[in-house]
Amino acid sequence: MVKVREHKLPQHNISTTKYLTPKKAYLPLIQHIGKPARQIVQPEEEVEDGQLIAEADGLVSSHIHSPIKGKISAISDFNHPLLQRSKAVVIEAKEEQKDNFSVSQEKGDYSREDILRLVKEAGIVGMGGAAFPTHVKLNPPKKIDTLIINGCECEPYLTCDYRLMIENTHGIFKGIELIARVLKPKNIYFAVENNKPQALKKINSFISTKKYNLSRMQLKVLKSAYPQGAEKQLIYSVTKRKVPAGGLPFDAGCMVNNVATCFAIYEAVYFKKPLIERIVSFCGDALDKPKNIWVKVGTTVKELFDSGVLSFKQEPKKVIFGGPMMGIAVKNLDYPILKGTSGVLFLSQEADSSSEAQCIRCSRCVDSCPMGLLPLEFVKLVKQERFKDLDNFYLKDCIECGSCSFVCPAKIPLVHYIKIGKTYAAGN
Amino acid sequence: MRLVISASPHQRAKLNTPYIMRQVIFALIPAVIAAVVFFKQAAVFLILNCALTAVVTEEIILKIRKKPSQAKDLSALLSGILLALVLPPTIKWWAASLGAVFAIAVGKHLFGGLGQNIFNPALIARAFLMAAYPKMLTSWVKPFSLDAVTSATPLALRKFSHTIMPLKDLFWGNVSGSLGETSAICLIIGGIYLLLRKIADWRIPVSLLASLSIFSLILFWVNPQNGSVLFHLFAGGVLLGAFFMATDPVTTPVTKLGRWIFGAGCGIIIMVIRIYSGLPEGVMYSIIFMNALTPLINIYTKPKSFGR
Repeated sequence: MVKVREHKLPQHNISTTKYLTPKKAYLPLIQHIGKPARQIVQPEEEVEDGQLIAEADGLVSSHIHSPIKGKISAISDFNHPLLQRSKAVVIEAKEEQKDNFSVSQEKGDYSREDILRLVKEAGIVGMGGAAFPTHVKLNPPKKIDTLIINGCECEPYLTCDYRLMIENTHGIFKGIELIARVLKPKNIYFAVENNKPQALKKINSFISTKKYNLSRMQLKVLKSAYPQGAEKQLIYSVTKRKVPAGGLPFDAGCMVNNVATCFAIYEAVYFKKPLIERIVSFCGDALDKPKNIWVKVGTTVKELFDSGVLSFKQEPKKVIFGGPMMGIAVKNLDYPILKGTSGVLFLSQEADSSSEAQCIRCSRCVDSCPMGLLPLEFVKLVKQERFKDLDNFYLKDCIECGSCSFVCPAKIPLVHYIKIGKTYAAGN
Repeated sequence: MRLVISASPHQRAKLNTPYIMRQVIFALIPAVIAAVVFFKQAAVFLILNCALTAVVTEEIILKIRKKPSQAKDLSALLSGILLALVLPPTIKWWAASLGAVFAIAVGKHLFGGLGQNIFNPALIARAFLMAAYPKMLTSWVKPFSLDAVTSATPLALRKFSHTIMPLKDLFWGNVSGSLGETSAICLIIGGIYLLLRKIADWRIPVSLLASLSIFSLILFWVNPQNGSVLFHLFAGGVLLGAFFMATDPVTTPVTKLGRWIFGAGCGIIIMVIRIYSGLPEGVMYSIIFMNALTPLINIYTKPKSFGR
């Protein structure tokens, strides 16, 4: 693991604001890992706030709902932050909007099946970034004995999970209760990095109230390092268990859920609210006031600027969906927020514009790799186009966390080469 | 608005190659000062000669190879300084220049340039000079006496005259030997600086010094004539080698286990040469030998990735 500059200061003490009335929503049919959802609406059709507009297609897929009351204006290709272009449903908002989901019955006794059904109906996906459909995850083929709640947020700049842990602690705890009811795990750990003292205090006080049915839950304070919040590294840090290479967390009897996902489950079950809004960190030095905002899924970044919610202090050189370590640079502002978008970063300059120099084999990439790989060998093999040999160095195990590129003194974009290698190795 | 598109990560550490090289050069300052104090203008000329020749050679070769200048990365400068520090102060200027040309042209660029060479350029150049001009490379003078009062090195004295030099002289450096190897304290200061700043990996110096200590302790116990542990640590080029030559990233293993093996191998070979061969000193050959083994070490110590 590596030490990275956190850059969380400007925004992490500012309360979250809201922008829940977008004029338009662009909803790509693929916002999750798995098969794209199947649209069930047609252009010109009127939709309600929270109405299902695309159904999960197959086992690993997820529902998509309209985040606003409005009319479908088009179903066509649109910018997608991860896939560049993808089919999306475009909804134009009606003048009058109403909140369909403010009534809560926190009582209710929900069975395991009820919860799984409600989570599926709400179209919840992992909100830490990977966006794996949560109803599939909550029903693993193997027994889970350890549930880990991920509040690490190890990516620099991002503070959306941090604000959520402070402002919506109750909802997160109720969400964890629900997950615990589904999985019946022996241990529950709430993992938070030690750079988040306010969140730690809040969680500690909530644990000690004993108001929640979470007597087994322990707070696990981890040292702030990157990538502490990556699933396999987190499982290892918390339980000292290693997820076998090529395996999934349930192979080690574990499951990791992000705090934002827990909150979404709480809203889905008690409010019957689908996943149509989330907190997103808008940050970076090009922004006038970096902040966390509750936005509707499908809102474009451009609209946030047009409506004055965000403004630039200086012209950005780079706009990134996600954090600076694993995020994806986009071409312009006309990209929609997805269910899995935790942040959008606006940087006024390139991280390091110095060009790639020769590798001096200093092994810093080797020492920083959380997966114990030899990243410099990947670069060598890709440059020599020896794609078949990449597997000998376990290319598939690379999680593309970016630690190697981060530390490289020769400024070699190792992850870039690794991605090329993965593409070619898959083609062979 | 023109936005840059590039692969993640979009944030990078400040550290770069020239910074690493500069830090190593900084760490050599105590040893360079000691060299100048002990060997006066001979040291100044030798260091300038080697450094300049190395940089000029590199620039010429890069021109021939139609590659951009690399003077800024300071690696040729460092190789030149290191070469000067492993040569006898009395070496003829043209032989030193020839060594510097050899270090860069043959030791580095014949293999493909920065990052591609198998052997440490400074050491391979010294080995070349040793073969070409053995007399010049084994004539030593006492410090402070450049009128060529010849004097054997502490290791040669041990081997051929069975006399062990006082540790105090070895520690401060008031003994004959290569330009930069005489003062133990100056090398230790520079070495610790390198390790604390995390410029050099600590595994190689630690394993080298540990294996050398253990092996020399056993040999001392067998026969005190072999010299004590501290004698073997402070005499000759062990400290210069351990901190500045065996830590050269290019020519040493990339795996963690490999680095342990590399250092341990060097330590053992040094003692084998010192005690059981015709030569009084073995640091250069031990490191060159382990350099040659490095590709093999890398293959056999390939780590198991997480979860395998």
